[in-house]
Amino acid sequence: MDPQHLSELQIDALGEVGSIGAGHAATALSQLLGASVDIDVPDIRLLPVSEVPSVFGGPENLVGAVYSRLLGDISGALLFILPRQDLLALADLLRSREPGSAKSLGVAEEGLVVHAAGVLQSAYLAAIARLTELAILPGPPQFAFDMLGGILEFVTAEIGMKADTALLIVTRFLSTEIVVDGALFYLPDPDSLDVLLGRLGIV
Amino acid sequence: MVICADIGGPWADPDENTILVATGELAVAEHPKVLVTPALGSCVGITLWDAFARRGGMAHIMLPSPNDTRIDGLVSRFASIALPTLAQEVTQGSVIRRLVAKIAGGSVMFGSDNGTPSIGARNIIEVKRQLALLRIPLVAEDTGGAHARTMELHLDTGLVVVRSYRYGIKDL
Repeated sequence: MDPQHLSELQIDALGEVGSIGAGHAATALSQLLGASVDIDVPDIRLLPVSEVPSVFGGPENLVGAVYSRLLGDISGALLFILPRQDLLALADLLRSREPGSAKSLGVAEEGLVVHAAGVLQSAYLAAIARLTELAILPGPPQFAFDMLGGILEFVTAEIGMKADTALLIVTRFLSTEIVVDGALFYLPDPDSLDVLLGRLGIV
Repeated sequence: MVICADIGGPWADPDENTILVATGELAVAEHPKVLVTPALGSCVGITLWDAFARRGGMAHIMLPSPNDTRIDGLVSRFASIALPTLAQEVTQGSVIRRLVAKIAGGSVMFGSDNGTPSIGARNIIEVKRQLALLRIPLVAEDTGGAHARTMELHLDTGLVVVRSYRYGIKDL
């Protein structure tokens, strides 16, 4: 199957996984922070990996990225990517502070963002596991702040694959004052997307 | 969601003399062209340059050899294939004894989770091994570390400029 030509139904099924995962993640983050955080998935789509840099304006552009390797019944990688301004806004949101409070990207901000990405990742994987009975084990989330192109090629080389297709789950964090859009990319190895869609009963 | 952080350089503002070398590709050119490859992470950028002919080539390799993946794609993304090919293409107008090599990249963008040598380190080893087999001297390198780099080769002087967010602009 060519993963770049998914039917409407298949995209909807992946979207369902996305919104269930987002719901779990919002509950978990709200409990952790003691404040209400909502998470929406306004957009979910497949795109060629080669087009990922254009989402952020080019391969040399500076982004923060949280990377986790996935192992188990389906393998690949999860990458959560935010430009710098959005990293700071997300840190403010997670600390329930005024928008614009975080001025620089320090260890504390990095830790918060990695933690949120870890919660997000676990929630999505739990949603996938429940719907498909696939066991997927994530590696520890790791952070880098550098050129998008370098980050992407490291990840694709490290998991030993061509990774021609990425699933983009636009993840919107909402508090009463701040809205931040993050990009969660699932880079499946070529067989894993088929397995996932097959288990969702739609191939 | 689109941002436009900018550290300048020909990738940000290409002109008719700039040749962009994407991941897994290679290119050969003569003065006044400038060869540029963006955002080297664990990949390694290799330049070969002939001072007499002011001619040279650039490759952007991703993996050491075809043994590292079972997936088809550009064969020039492997160091073991790209280097002999690049040397052959550059020497169509040069003598191999005149070539000098410079390399950049091979970093570890995220900590390794399996204890084996990183792809970046293995790429550097294979590139150096291939250069030794071709008897092309490696005159400068900016490799390793944990940051991404953009590399450009100016064919009039053989100058290689390496740009990164962490260390700014560096001449090799």
